[in-house]
Amino acid sequence: MTSSTHEGAQGPHHASGAALVALEAIGIVKRFPGVLANDDVNFDIRVGEVHTLLGENGAGKSTLASMLCGLYQPDAGRILRNGVPIQLSSPRAGLQHGIAMVHQHFRLVDRFSVAENVVLGSRDLSFKLNRAELNDAVAAVADTYGLPVDPTATVGDLSVGQRQRVEIVKALYQGAEILLLDEPTAVLVPAEVEKLFENVHAMTKTGKSVVFISHKLGEVARISDRVTVLRNGRVTGHVSSKGQADAKELARLMVGRDIDLAAQRASHPIGHEVLQIRDVSLVASGVNVLSNISFNVHEGEMVGIAGVAGNGQRELADVIAGLLSPTSGTISIGGAMSTDRGPIASRELGLAYVPEDRLGVGLVPSMSILDNLLLTRDRSVVVDRANVRPEANRLIDEFEIKANGPEHLARKLSGGNAQKVLLARELSGGRTATKLLVVCSPTRGLDVGAIETVRRLLDDARSAGQAILLISEDLDEIMSLADRVLVIYRGAIVHETPGATALLEQVGAAMAGLSQAGGA
Amino acid sequence: MNQNIWVLMTGDSVALATTLILAALGALFTERTGVLNLGVEGVLLTAAISSFIAADSSGSVWVGLIVGSLAGALLAGIHAILAVVLRANQIVSGLALVIFGTGLANYLGKPYEGKTISVKLTDMTFGPLTDIPLLGPILFEQDIITYVALAAAVFSSLYLFRTRPGLEVRATGDDPATVDAQGLMVSTIRIRYTLFGGLLMGLGGSWLMLAESAAWHQAATTNGVGWIALALVVFASWRPIRLVLGAVLFGFTLQLPYTLQAENITFIPQAFLQMVPYVATLISLIALSRPGSTNALGAPKSLGVPFVRDER
Amino acid sequence: MRAPFRLQFEQRTETPRRLGVLVPLISVLAALFAGALFLLATGHSVGDTYSNMLSDGFFSSTGITDTLGLSTVLICTGIAAAFAFQMNLYNIGGEGQLYVGMIGATWFGLFFGENLPSFIMIPLVLIGGALCGAAWIAIPAWVRARLGTSEIVTTLLLTYVAASLVNHFIYRSGSYFRAPNSMFPQGRQVPDSAMLSPIGDTKMYPTFFVIVLLSLALHWVVRRTEFGYRIQVISDSPRAACYAGISARRTTVQVMLISGGLAGLGGATLIVGSFQRLDPGIVTLGYGYAGIVIAALARNNMAAVVVSGILFAGLRSGGDKLQISTDTPIHIGVMLQGAILLFALGGEAFRRYKIRIVRTPAVGSEVTA
Repeated sequence: MTSSTHEGAQGPHHASGAALVALEAIGIVKRFPGVLANDDVNFDIRVGEVHTLLGENGAGKSTLASMLCGLYQPDAGRILRNGVPIQLSSPRAGLQHGIAMVHQHFRLVDRFSVAENVVLGSRDLSFKLNRAELNDAVAAVADTYGLPVDPTATVGDLSVGQRQRVEIVKALYQGAEILLLDEPTAVLVPAEVEKLFENVHAMTKTGKSVVFISHKLGEVARISDRVTVLRNGRVTGHVSSKGQADAKELARLMVGRDIDLAAQRASHPIGHEVLQIRDVSLVASGVNVLSNISFNVHEGEMVGIAGVAGNGQRELADVIAGLLSPTSGTISIGGAMSTDRGPIASRELGLAYVPEDRLGVGLVPSMSILDNLLLTRDRSVVVDRANVRPEANRLIDEFEIKANGPEHLARKLSGGNAQKVLLARELSGGRTATKLLVVCSPTRGLDVGAIETVRRLLDDARSAGQAILLISEDLDEIMSLADRVLVIYRGAIVHETPGATALLEQVGAAMAGLSQAGGA
Repeated sequence: MNQNIWVLMTGDSVALATTLILAALGALFTERTGVLNLGVEGVLLTAAISSFIAADSSGSVWVGLIVGSLAGALLAGIHAILAVVLRANQIVSGLALVIFGTGLANYLGKPYEGKTISVKLTDMTFGPLTDIPLLGPILFEQDIITYVALAAAVFSSLYLFRTRPGLEVRATGDDPATVDAQGLMVSTIRIRYTLFGGLLMGLGGSWLMLAESAAWHQAATTNGVGWIALALVVFASWRPIRLVLGAVLFGFTLQLPYTLQAENITFIPQAFLQMVPYVATLISLIALSRPGSTNALGAPKSLGVPFVRDER
Repeated sequence: MRAPFRLQFEQRTETPRRLGVLVPLISVLAALFAGALFLLATGHSVGDTYSNMLSDGFFSSTGITDTLGLSTVLICTGIAAAFAFQMNLYNIGGEGQLYVGMIGATWFGLFFGENLPSFIMIPLVLIGGALCGAAWIAIPAWVRARLGTSEIVTTLLLTYVAASLVNHFIYRSGSYFRAPNSMFPQGRQVPDSAMLSPIGDTKMYPTFFVIVLLSLALHWVVRRTEFGYRIQVISDSPRAACYAGISARRTTVQVMLISGGLAGLGGATLIVGSFQRLDPGIVTLGYGYAGIVIAALARNNMAAVVVSGILFAGLRSGGDKLQISTDTPIHIGVMLQGAILLFALGGEAFRRYKIRIVRTPAVGSEVTA
């Protein structure tokens, strides 16, 4: 049984031309309550190739991958490893067959060292741990594939890109022949993506197979030997060799219709300054989270803040929203100082804030839409729900929220509808009319239809003269929406460029901390 | 005060620390896998009366210790079923265990109310070592379980930080989803160490009965030691060796009222002396607190959070 | 080896209404069944024990009024616990706050009682008790809000301190609370103006109705007011509260003080009711601890606490009389409390999740390479 794992290792010698199928899934069906996540899906991966699973959020890519690695079990269908049917009852069974998955949300213990993380759960680990030996073994595996990691480093201290490398090293250490990479580039800056692609090539050269899961058309065309497109749980197309993948065709297969996520930019004059940030710095537990940030946002203007997660954008949004007090510097909204006056005072000046976490921060999951509308508004001593109900009904209609009415619980809304409720509340103004809207990652995790709606709503708000600060890790989104792009790196604005003429390479380099210049 | 009383007090502190070490080690193992068992007080009481009955009817302290430990594991098993298998609220489950355990112990102990046990765990002798001034009576005049408890703390530390299962325990407490993705069984690990934790608590409760009290006085038999043990785990930042140091400190406060009374030192009212251990624990807990998260202290990140695999 | 079966948990999106009633009901029955096994195992008669408990607790005229009388303090400690629990603040020191409430109520009674009329004294004693209960939780509340110190352990530790305090006030000779000219250590009775008379020939006091009304009022506060709205937001998602500018710190302190005050009020109802004096026997009764069970069984719903409080009072009152009618230890009552809560918790899982048993295929064994 274990021997089948090692057959793959000899694979490359005779696989260079021949298409040796390493893993095959036939007729896979998987149901979740109310959703048919995979409907008769066929998929196979050859030795030494990169096969991409392409599809938008919720198309069933991750579900399929989870079944291929043993995390979920299919309701119907067969999985064959080297032509032999296998049962993958757990991730451990998957590993025994040489299949490992690198999840989108890393499965790493922050407090452990790299080596401890890599060896955790490994089958042939001795009872007594010999740290020096383990460190050497982990370093050896990492070096083989050109993945530089320090085995003694604590994972919690590593960057996202480094953590991803640890995940890959972990899979390889445990003898993976087939790696499933779930949206691996979503968290990386362009330079890190390049590095990842190099690593993937290094792996396929030695006969490893890589299943690459993505919804980004551009990179898919570059990295893949073959592409399988999924939509609503069904396979809608195969593109079988390199170079043939046409982005437009892939997009149509993926979404099922032509979509327009093209650039939208202000087509009208920009007005007065609404948000003024002057020399804002924030020091939290001895660390400079924000340093000397200054910029303005004007009426009818959308300013985008690009950056890799954890470079201070969340804190910047919280500082503007009055949730955090800056260590130094000032913030004014609509010409009035809002520094140190708290979130309610900021809202009274016309601030609206759509936080990154919709459920749990922006919305209270166990409360109804109605009660959630009250969250950022003035509430009388005895809460007068009857008074707000008509407005709730109106907003549900106006924002096309799919719900049973104002009593519908927030946690039962789909991601797109939850975001619409949040936008409805924030754009409709509570204490005063909204002048400034701060939005963080507004389309993360949404399907294409909802993304279009959310972008349209933001664009409408901008046309209506509201000032918008868009903070997002999705560089494409910022590049296509923002009138002005600022790049944040280690808490400082390191680059500024008009949205219309922004160059992806420059912005990407700034995000990775490679640009010294820039007009901030 | 003469020197003898300090020797006596320190020796008693080490002795009283035995229950604290065992109970707190039990809680530590349980919590290291992410399960919060607040039922320590109930487990100690049930184990104490079980060991009393078993030792009394069999005439053997060893039978008492074994039965008491198993009773502890059994009660912890209820918590394991509720908290791990059925994903119940761990706080409420632990509290229910305190109430149930207390009722059960009092129910079982009714016929033995105020009775003294016929057998008792005796101190070991190390010949001349005991005669060493100061250190002798403190270190070499204890019973075997006290030495077992000290050894258990050392082995626990090695186990947690130097072995494969220890690695898995710590990972389960911090990040069960990761452990699950590695194909390890989160529930199995949690149940195993909740039971083992109960066993250690049970041994601690039995020791309290068979070596310390020797008479059953309902809830006064443990008198809140279980809660102090829980605070001790926080005090020790979930590390076994620090736990021993803390246990001796808390053991000191626990024996204070008795020793001072025995020495006829009465300028402080007895009631206030009895408050000392609880107030000391309270103050140390507050002193250790920091605004923000408890993670800084070293608390397992998933402590008290049931693990449900994310199946949409 | 892996187990051949595995439990699969599926979060219910919609909880069937009937489960809300069925689960507690079945828990009680299951606990009684488990108790029966226990009685059998220890050689007591199940039939006698339960029929005595039921008739003494509920189904006789003195039984039911005794139960309602006892339920007054239990509902009080029940809402004390529930009010904090609903915000995920586990004040389990209601027992200690009850002691201190008793001490405070007794002091107010003794100090002012001789000079003031009853219609001022009764509210004064009740409020005095509540204030002292609130004072006793002030430190845990403050450090919880400021430093995040677990209120679970702090409130509990203070219960032991409070118990020592009660003993100190009674056993110290010359204590203000101790009956003078008495050989035995016992409490000094409060003046007549600080005592209520029972309703008719029963052990019920008018405070019962006050406490029931208070529970319903608190229920309304939680559901309908801005304060209740804040509590709901904080309990569900503290980060959303922070986002909305709701101060979790302030609300934490407020809720805990109210919780402690309610427990203290429970102690005060005993003084104006059946106790009439500070009695060290209170530390063995566990009324405060029972509040935890009552709250949990009512799933922290203030109105439902009235029902579960009366149910528990019946179990207690029936259980306490067992000692007289049979030889069964009265502790069966407390044991059943714990057992009911354990079963209710287990039942909760069936309310929240659809639980299915799934067969797990053996790892790779089918593969014949």
